[in-house]
Amino acid sequence: MADLKDRVEGLRKAFEAEALKVGDAKSLEGLRTAFLSRKKGHVTLLFEGLKSVPAEDKREAGRLVNAFKTFVQDGLQTLEGKVRTDGRPAQALDLTLPGRKRYVGAPHPLVLFQQEIENVFLGMGFTIEEGPEIETDYYNFEALNFPPHHPARDSWDTLYITDDLLLRTHTSPVQIRVMEKKKPPIRIIIPGRVFRRETPDPTHLPMFMQIEGLVVDEGITFAHLKGTLEYFIRALFGEKIKVRFRPSFFPFTEPSAEVDIECIVCGGQDKSCRVCGGTGWKEILGSGMVDPQVLKNVNIDPEKYSGWAFGLGIDRTAMFAFGITEMRHFYENDLRFLRQFGTK
Amino acid sequence: MKISLDWIREFVTVDIPRQELLDRLTMIGLVADTVEERDGDVVLDLETYANRPDTLGHLGVAREIGAMLGLSLKEKSWPLAELPQATTEIADVQISSENLCPRYCGLVVRDVPVGPSPDGLRRRVEAMGLRPINNVVDVSNYVLFATAQPIHTFDFGKIGGGKIVVRKAKRGETLKDLDGRTLELTTDMLVIADESRPVALAGVIGGEASGITDATRDVFIESANFDPVSIRKTAKKLGLSTDASYRFERGADVGFAPQAALMAASLLTQMGGKASRGLIDVYPKPHKPKSVRLRLRRIAELLGVDVPESLVVEVLGRLGFRVETVHKGVWRVEVPTFRVDIGREADLIEEVARFYGYDRIPSEFTPVRSFDLSVNRKRERLGRIRQTLLGQGFDEVINWSFADPEREAAAGSGLRPVDVQNPISSRASVLRTTLVPGLLENAAWNLNRGLEGVHVFELGNAFYWEGDKHREELRLGLVSTGLLPGAGWASGPAETDFYVLKGALEALMEALRFEPFAFEERDHAYFEEGRALALLYKGQPVGCLGVLRKSLAAAASVDRTVFAAEVDLTGLFEKTPKPFQYAPVPRFPGVSRDLSFLLDRGVAYQEIGKALAKLNLPLLEGFELRDRFSGPSIPADKVSLTVRFRFRHPQRTLVAEEVDRVEQDIVGHLKSALNIQLREGKIDNRT
Repeated sequence: MADLKDRVEGLRKAFEAEALKVGDAKSLEGLRTAFLSRKKGHVTLLFEGLKSVPAEDKREAGRLVNAFKTFVQDGLQTLEGKVRTDGRPAQALDLTLPGRKRYVGAPHPLVLFQQEIENVFLGMGFTIEEGPEIETDYYNFEALNFPPHHPARDSWDTLYITDDLLLRTHTSPVQIRVMEKKKPPIRIIIPGRVFRRETPDPTHLPMFMQIEGLVVDEGITFAHLKGTLEYFIRALFGEKIKVRFRPSFFPFTEPSAEVDIECIVCGGQDKSCRVCGGTGWKEILGSGMVDPQVLKNVNIDPEKYSGWAFGLGIDRTAMFAFGITEMRHFYENDLRFLRQFGTK
Repeated sequence: MKISLDWIREFVTVDIPRQELLDRLTMIGLVADTVEERDGDVVLDLETYANRPDTLGHLGVAREIGAMLGLSLKEKSWPLAELPQATTEIADVQISSENLCPRYCGLVVRDVPVGPSPDGLRRRVEAMGLRPINNVVDVSNYVLFATAQPIHTFDFGKIGGGKIVVRKAKRGETLKDLDGRTLELTTDMLVIADESRPVALAGVIGGEASGITDATRDVFIESANFDPVSIRKTAKKLGLSTDASYRFERGADVGFAPQAALMAASLLTQMGGKASRGLIDVYPKPHKPKSVRLRLRRIAELLGVDVPESLVVEVLGRLGFRVETVHKGVWRVEVPTFRVDIGREADLIEEVARFYGYDRIPSEFTPVRSFDLSVNRKRERLGRIRQTLLGQGFDEVINWSFADPEREAAAGSGLRPVDVQNPISSRASVLRTTLVPGLLENAAWNLNRGLEGVHVFELGNAFYWEGDKHREELRLGLVSTGLLPGAGWASGPAETDFYVLKGALEALMEALRFEPFAFEERDHAYFEEGRALALLYKGQPVGCLGVLRKSLAAAASVDRTVFAAEVDLTGLFEKTPKPFQYAPVPRFPGVSRDLSFLLDRGVAYQEIGKALAKLNLPLLEGFELRDRFSGPSIPADKVSLTVRFRFRHPQRTLVAEEVDRVEQDIVGHLKSALNIQLREGKIDNRT
């Protein structure tokens, strides 16, 4: 009796092992033959062996062998369900159910866009500098060659904390802070929040993000400004984008240049384009050769050194790049807006 | 500045197609924002720059066009019909504040028939977007928009004693201006007075009493030059901005004052008036022309291109500069009085560049002589924080630095907020002392729009006064409320909880190697009592987290439980993190055992760690909480914990008996120290 039990147990293990290997109809048929063949199947042989079992054990032995037969039959039936007629394993799982994803948060689009810009300049050997958001009149204006009470200040409408302290209207004061500490060569970019006393409208807000660049070294020319900014703009907007430099005025650069790129929305084809107003050009950044007075203010000799600088509004550039029509979307923090940029 | 092309043609010939003109103007820096057709004329709205008051008149713009097209300006004569009397016999001008009024010119035109202007003059005034008033007022507007030199006309009969005194206002003086407002004058303001009282606010606006009316017969024409800063301060103080003040505060042409007066007089005499003979011209300290040295070499050094000498001389000449060669490649350039923006070589180089053409300057890469190899630790850390929190499923937001003072007070950061003197609105009149209320508003915004959960963070500055010093602190703020993102069909929606937020902070501190850090129960104004922790590093608080006070959430219309945290990154980043150190992967297998036991509810989980720290257990590698539950099968005053202990010997494989011994020590000590009760047998896992 113990013998029979061991035999059945051995066959059960063998069946289970073989069942795992079944992948197609052919191997399934092989397994069926091995166990249930009327001539030499293991189950058939077990039944034949029952004849030699002593009478007092017959009842239990019969139950044991019958149970094993049922086990084998059930096993084969289950396997049949898994083996398709074309010979490939059937779908054990519904593989069309959606996968399980772990949610990853979305970075803010302005941070993302800022990093894209930073990466272009980091690749050109620039480093990143930052400075305070509450500034003094000296750093925000005077050192940058804005005389007191000059109307040039009107374009940088200011939020004041005290008569001398203000919320910086641009990232340019960091130029001064860096040049005070560091001697040329200087090659930096300066990202950060800036503030202006602007009445909110679709393209103006009292707070926005700016990024600024500064190069000071011997022999720096306007040609370097052009070449480097053109490269930057192409890295951001594609090889083929048209770029235009035109004269402008900023107190801290001389000569100054406004940089326009061709309108990627209408390509200059739409006379009523909301983005470029039909001119085909979109103003993207201000730039120029560092004003000699600015260099003097930080004790850098303008006869020996020259430099160029630029400043760009991250918000408006991102609006242009992504086709966003309202600047305030960036600060409403509607997750249905923000989360789209997780895939940018 | 509105520019009529028809008017421009009075000064210079323009016969190129309109679009070409606009394109070329753009490339010398004069951009037309709008182009408007008007009765056969074309009116451009040109963007002008604060440093170029000369372009605030047609003459200046014509000069630019002349230089651009290589054309000279047309000559125009201004004939006068004169009286026998000299101006000085009729009027008297005295300047008592010379530094605020460098020059004052004037003359009288008698018997002016005040009435409507002739058509040509009306057209000019209308092209500027103004309504014609009468011929005298229209003439002064005409001169201003033609030349950028503001002039003023007085009813000479109303000038007491025929005396013009340029002086500062006296205490208590007022002036009823041309628009009928009564201006309270202060003693720093410059006025034009007659023998007894102010008749005009110098360079800003005239007085009503001496204004031109239909009854006016004799007109006094003023063409003066005023100190820009004084005009600007006065205009700002009174909240006035006029076409005159706009020009004077940018700098009018001190050399042109007499000519502008004569132009006006000529026009008025053409209408029937008779001008007094000879101009009064009080000009105590005549302007010395500025002279600037310009080097050809420097042009190439700054622009990166060789500009032909002939172009330099030609352009500057057309723009009105007197160019004199000192020696080869060096010029002495005399700056005309209308170019108040030019004083240095760089300014002249810009002029050369503008007319050489920015588009003709080549594009080159900026050469690099050396690289800055320093590591920007702060950027690196911020990047790590972002990466960690995004990975924990938090979305990034950016909120206003401004805050509502009431909201700020309610939040209760306990810091004295920084006020903005001239805020956009009273609800944005302070700078935020904490990031939490902004994040709460983000939660409200998104919950109101149908989202079931909001988990956001912000990196930004908070501001406050500390004594008389303002502080600017970089903070990290976190808010988590509602359902966690990422629920799918396999696992149902899960609500966030305190430990989600705590886990985020733990992950963050670990990612930055600010270890070991600790939490300590500490109440804070943001949070419900007894539901708040302080985050400590090196024994000092660097942040806080907890269950946001219900009243704060309710004030933002959020009825869900909100979990919030704020970390002072400025403070944290000043501290030194644990250095990074590589440790070899263990060579020998460890053993882990799960112990399930009951712990009194009143005992905090961290007591287990504290208790174990008192034992010397070299084989204990670490332990983690695997499960915690309470329920009907557990006594009400207990919780059931399952803790996995990990054991390892660095030099060999452990044997079961030594693990047993350590385990007994642990159990024994926890029993005596914390009164734990073991629940079931141990489970031995080889790892």
